[in-house]
Amino acid sequence: MNFTLIEFGLFFLKAFVVVMFAMNVAVILTWADRRQGSMIQDRVGPNRAVAWIPTKVAMVLAVLPALGLAAGVLGLVARTDFEGPTRSFASVALSQLAIFWVWLTGIIIAGRVADRGVKNSFDAFIASVGDPRRFFYGGLAAHFLAFAIGAVYRGTEIGQTVEQAGISAGAGLFAFAVLFGAGYAAYSIRNEPRVGLRLLGLLHPAADGLKTIFKEDFIPPNADKFLHSIAPVIAFFPALVVLGVVPFGDSLCFGADPATGRLAIDQLMTTVPAEGCNGVALPLQVASLNVGVLYFFALGGTGIVGAALAGWASDNKYSLLGGLRAASQMVSYEVTMVLTLIGAFMIYGTVRVEDMVRWQAANTWGIFVQPLAFVLFFTASVAESKRIPFDLPEGESEIVAGYYTEYAGMKFAMFFFAEYIAVVTGSALMAALFLGGWDLPFLRPDGLYVAIGDTVFLQEALPHPAIVAIGALGFVLKTLFLCWVQLTIRWTLPRFRYDQLMRLGWRKLLPASLANVLATGLLILAVQSAGPRVVSALAIVSDLTKALLAVGGIVVGIVFVLFLLKPAKKRRLLATTSAQFAAALGGTRSARMSA
Amino acid sequence: MADSSSSSPLGPRSVQGKPVSRPKRGAGVQAYVPEIAKGLAITMGHFFRNTKEMAFNQRNDPTLEGVEDGINTISYPEQRRPYAARFRGVHRLTHRDDGSPRCVACLCCSTACPAQCIHIEAGEYPVGDPRRGYERFPQRFVIDELRCVFCGFCVEACPCDAIRMDTGVHAAPYDSREQFIFEKNLLMSFPGRDGSHVTANPRHEPGEASHPGITREGGGH
Repeated sequence: MNFTLIEFGLFFLKAFVVVMFAMNVAVILTWADRRQGSMIQDRVGPNRAVAWIPTKVAMVLAVLPALGLAAGVLGLVARTDFEGPTRSFASVALSQLAIFWVWLTGIIIAGRVADRGVKNSFDAFIASVGDPRRFFYGGLAAHFLAFAIGAVYRGTEIGQTVEQAGISAGAGLFAFAVLFGAGYAAYSIRNEPRVGLRLLGLLHPAADGLKTIFKEDFIPPNADKFLHSIAPVIAFFPALVVLGVVPFGDSLCFGADPATGRLAIDQLMTTVPAEGCNGVALPLQVASLNVGVLYFFALGGTGIVGAALAGWASDNKYSLLGGLRAASQMVSYEVTMVLTLIGAFMIYGTVRVEDMVRWQAANTWGIFVQPLAFVLFFTASVAESKRIPFDLPEGESEIVAGYYTEYAGMKFAMFFFAEYIAVVTGSALMAALFLGGWDLPFLRPDGLYVAIGDTVFLQEALPHPAIVAIGALGFVLKTLFLCWVQLTIRWTLPRFRYDQLMRLGWRKLLPASLANVLATGLLILAVQSAGPRVVSALAIVSDLTKALLAVGGIVVGIVFVLFLLKPAKKRRLLATTSAQFAAALGGTRSARMSA
Repeated sequence: MADSSSSSPLGPRSVQGKPVSRPKRGAGVQAYVPEIAKGLAITMGHFFRNTKEMAFNQRNDPTLEGVEDGINTISYPEQRRPYAARFRGVHRLTHRDDGSPRCVACLCCSTACPAQCIHIEAGEYPVGDPRRGYERFPQRFVIDELRCVFCGFCVEACPCDAIRMDTGVHAAPYDSREQFIFEKNLLMSFPGRDGSHVTANPRHEPGEASHPGITREGGGH
């Protein structure tokens, strides 16, 4: 198998993207685990790490990316000749993006003005609008208005002009809003002596990570120095590479180079048929292996070796106990994990993750055909990542810190980081196997296609790159959602006892997964022996599940927006003299108090 | 206890307990899943509310608003909780109108101090000063804030309202013990919470018209 240079570069790029995704999400999870984990206890959490930057530099940092973004969008619009579905899509996307950015900038500035008071005439103008929520309501009205205008004039004589106006005005307005927001931010910090960069507290895990590099690398005197040093690498590496078989988007379709018939990087298709690719497909997946998801488990299983080695090589009884616990726990739950997937293999008829996602895109998401398997797999996956409530190998109340008792500095950080990366990779695999991967309801490769059975409600052609991008974004969001659910479980549940852990694994999850295999087999036999009417009925049911997902997603979005708009409920108490002093100073929240 | 030990000092004691019934653990509790769901719902409720309020700067003001209503952290150096009106903070020495300390070096405060953290070296006014022989002044006035127990006895003991603890400032953490030795100039530099260095109690110096003097008619000094 020989690669062209471009294919090799793309392969490298994909691997880089996947590794960066896993590691960055892991860092964000580390941050969220500490920060949001404090917030659910009504505390702020670690956010003290700060980088002080000079005001002039901060102003440049605020304006420069905005200048680049504005110039990029304007340049793209000026140079590109939009045609067909790409043209109408670009018109809608740019105008909606511009409206979104305008009201977002407005609501942020209005919030700041409401907090710190009116300082100049522009602030006074913003404050005269009143409640900051009005920017949102106005923006919502503008969104609908722009969309309606585009829909009304669609395909008419004026339609071309309207679309062109949408593209030009949208790009112009977006560029202006971006520059204005950045300029306002730069203007409002001009009198500060220096600007503290905190990034929502994200610098805190970064500082913690940097700290571990400079800490002492301690190896116990009687430890096996080689194994002690290599164990964190063995634990870290498989966690990072298992994502290679998980597709993070639908295949990108390129034109073929006429000379060689290979992929031509500059000929990205704008339209593709509903099925397949009429050019050269670039799978958005590092390696399309024939063993598929088994690669995930084969490599993931070697993570056990790292934990067991760390426990054995440390010359410490607690480490040894922790290593034993880790090994037995991970082996136990790995059995459940793979057996759970047998049912999914039987239904999807493949072990390749990309084909599983295709099956789910064509029929329905895995969570509807294998609900029990999803619950079992989720539980086993949490246990597999050795985290609360299954963090027995760490068990600080019983065995100090388990298998990494004798680790410090970067080696400890690698174990720690490997756990978080395991959460990310496990969530990505679950999103691909059970939540449809990059599939979104009614989004086919050729565009929006809302249909139940043979009844088509809405059909709308969209450009191919936009659909792939939306699908990839959907996959990332599904992964983040599953990560977040795992974090929430970690914040809620207490740790199991070790016998409870083993009983759950071997006497509850394992029989349940075997029963799932049996039930799935019977179901498949029943469907195969049933007539074509049952098959067509099932197709309608699968379309209905997609409709349920779409409606559910929209409802959740509306409820979330209503939740955001709801004013905070506070009871004001002025019972103490300190509260009266604080009230006289304007409160601790916005005012800086020195009394 | 006493009865049972006296009747059979060596034998096993009969222990009488109150029977406690085992808690009822129905299928819902045993299955563990509904309880997990309840716990997750509570966690998610706090998560969404607090994240939203942090993002929109709607967060609780812990000094003014009920502690049940959200995040109550005070980001200390930037935000501070004001102390109550009668909080005993770092000491200050009040001033006279001419800017000298009101203290007359009577040593009442250092005598009253249970921690013995006040050190005063008294000085006499020069010959010819009307206050010579009437009162003295502190040449040195030193408080070891690290030894102080903030009991406020010095304030109670002072007959001249010369030492007060109404600065509203707690003793700051320094990085060496020497920095906790507060000398007279430093103590005089702290204002009270009202920003003033004097007190409302008027001072009547000998020789001033307001001084009551030693006769019933208010003169003769």
